[in-house]
Amino acid sequence: MEINDRQNPYKAKDTGHQWDGIRELENPPPKWWRIGFHASWIVVLIYCVLYPSIPLLRGSTSGLLGWTQVKEYKESMAEIEKIRSPYEEKIKNMSAREILSNPELSNYTQVSAKVLFGDNCAACHGAGGQGTPGFPVLADDDWLYGETIEDIEEDITLGRTGNMPAHGKTLSKQEIDDVVKYVMQISSGGIYQPGRDVFMGMTEGEAMCFACHGEDARGIEDMGSANLADSIWRFSGTEEGIRDVIIHGVNDTSDPKTIKARMPTFGGKLTPTQIKKLAVYVYRLGSVQNE
Amino acid sequence: MEGTHEKESYNFEIVQWFSVAAVIYLVVGALLGVIIASQLSWPALNLDIPYLTFGRLRPLHTNAVIFAFGGCTLMGASFYIVQRTCSVRLWSDKLAWFTFIGWNLVIVSAVITLPLGFTQGKEYAELEWPIDIAIALVWVAYAFNFIMTIVKRRNSHIYVANWFFIAMMVMITYLHVVNSLAIPVELFKSYSIFSGVHDAMIQWWYGHNAVGFLLTAGFLGIMYYFVPKQSDRPIYSYRLSVLHFWALVFGYVWIGGHHLLYTALPDWVGSLGAIISIGMIIPSWGGAVNGMMTLSGAWDKLRTDYVLRFLIVSLAFYAMSTFEGPMMSLRTVNSLSHYTDWTIGHVHSGALGWVVMVSTGAIYHMLSRLWNKQIYSARLVNFHFWIHTIGIVIYICAMWVSGIMQGLMWRTYDEYGNLVYTFAESVAAMHPYYVLRTLGGVLVLAGALVMLYNTVMTINKSKAVA
Repeated sequence: MEINDRQNPYKAKDTGHQWDGIRELENPPPKWWRIGFHASWIVVLIYCVLYPSIPLLRGSTSGLLGWTQVKEYKESMAEIEKIRSPYEEKIKNMSAREILSNPELSNYTQVSAKVLFGDNCAACHGAGGQGTPGFPVLADDDWLYGETIEDIEEDITLGRTGNMPAHGKTLSKQEIDDVVKYVMQISSGGIYQPGRDVFMGMTEGEAMCFACHGEDARGIEDMGSANLADSIWRFSGTEEGIRDVIIHGVNDTSDPKTIKARMPTFGGKLTPTQIKKLAVYVYRLGSVQNE
Repeated sequence: MEGTHEKESYNFEIVQWFSVAAVIYLVVGALLGVIIASQLSWPALNLDIPYLTFGRLRPLHTNAVIFAFGGCTLMGASFYIVQRTCSVRLWSDKLAWFTFIGWNLVIVSAVITLPLGFTQGKEYAELEWPIDIAIALVWVAYAFNFIMTIVKRRNSHIYVANWFFIAMMVMITYLHVVNSLAIPVELFKSYSIFSGVHDAMIQWWYGHNAVGFLLTAGFLGIMYYFVPKQSDRPIYSYRLSVLHFWALVFGYVWIGGHHLLYTALPDWVGSLGAIISIGMIIPSWGGAVNGMMTLSGAWDKLRTDYVLRFLIVSLAFYAMSTFEGPMMSLRTVNSLSHYTDWTIGHVHSGALGWVVMVSTGAIYHMLSRLWNKQIYSARLVNFHFWIHTIGIVIYICAMWVSGIMQGLMWRTYDEYGNLVYTFAESVAAMHPYYVLRTLGGVLVLAGALVMLYNTVMTINKSKAVA
């Protein structure tokens, strides 16, 4: 089978091989390809002289340019640090409260903590601190463990673990119904007496709710117990939700259906300066009314 | 002249089975791709069922495409090519059947174990140790049968396509065995014998060479047979074949390090990975040039021959992604592109553009010859070509934009030297591109379904070739 002109327009020689009707021509590779081929290995050699690339018994050649990835990292971090350092130096020795009272540094801190908040806090508390089901709102002035900026710093550093015993086994159904009704009415000023009795531990179940939530049901800051009289709910304000909390408690290991509420400790994960920045950021989220 | 004589002397039945399996696996792989792309666009589609979450279906997608579809295409096409170019029947029919059944059992076991969460956690090598052993056995049986067929060939020279297949078989055996070395602790749990950065290095030496020797060398073998055969033209340059074959074989094994730039990997390993990747552009293009120049004087065939379109456009995608890859392995580019969707886009321009298109062309070519029938519908082949091409273009453009945007968002600083965007903001910004990518995937899946339909109709309904 001869190769016709159409099959071999450049009239190249044939190698004479043939497989299943396939023939091979002896065209040289295109000139640009040959130039590129030689340029390739030359470029590889040049690069190997310039950068660390040849392994030796210990380590490797270091390359004429003296480049290392650690050096490159340090250089580019130094560039950023140069811009940040005037602010960072000042912040380092200031308390969070002092930063708050300095508008310029306070603004710097706000901006620089945005990504910190987004990467560490937003997953639970929402991108704007608006809270998500089961996780508290940060964008208000209501704080379980105290509203000063030092309190907030402590919340972040040490984390928080909510704690309320489950009452499903100690209270009767009637007692639970009563106390739920009572809790639902406090915020609007109503006092449902049978429920109030349960709350004060004066019924058979001896619930002692007042011991943590206070006789006025307004919570006790040092214990982190919730204020039940302000229409702000840590978990839920619905009848069903309140009942759930009373029956199963919070972080009560004796009840498998207990509500889990644990804020992680950031003390080891973030630096004290980062935590300080976050405290300022979180404080300002909720302090709109104050300003 | 092609006819009864071949039917008697060649084992084409095994090729028929591999070809049909490949078409089915293409549909499965594309379907899984569409599912996981949708899960990224709309996370609710994870359905809170652990077996169907993205993390478990994603390795199933990659395994289905690379090893089920790619593997069956390679095994089928290589058995077809080696018989025809050596003018002899396969060395052993029994070994060939062992290969077919064994390989498909491996695929079935992947379908079961990956959603159950059994994994070694190594990309493209997720399957646990008992399956790894099965893969090694089946693969060696396949390679041995292939090489023995070449040994008993009727002609003096070995055709270039077969060089590439042999290179693939030798290297994949070596890569798979070394990367899978592990200490079993349970039936489906094992620990790699390598630790720390060594494990990472071995993994990416394997990972990149799976791309280099399975998805490049193997499919170049396919290209070297089907392009001259479909276009009825001689191979453009023998010398070019030799040069780019050896450059490819010697070059590829160095470049795995470019997957681990700016990590604990020693600087010198990264440097070699990066610069040899650059040095591989021209050798890689050697294959594309040889294939395209083979068409010299016959470019008009592209107007009427839809199968040839697949083959030639696949070479264009091959040339493009073998340029893009080396660029992405330069440290400066890599610091932006690494860990972003750009990588995913790059992989898919190679997988969908090069691998799937050259395979599709090869399978359409073989269909009519294996069953001695005309393709049921040439118009559907053309339709498949266009819907597939449009799907790829949408996919890779979406990933370019998304990936570069991601990389830039992660490194944007404000005038105080603070990061501007949170990670979650970069995720939210990607959403429209994820939806676009899903659309691209749906088009590719539609094309695969059209191909399956055309395949079934060709086998069952089509007229015999006169």
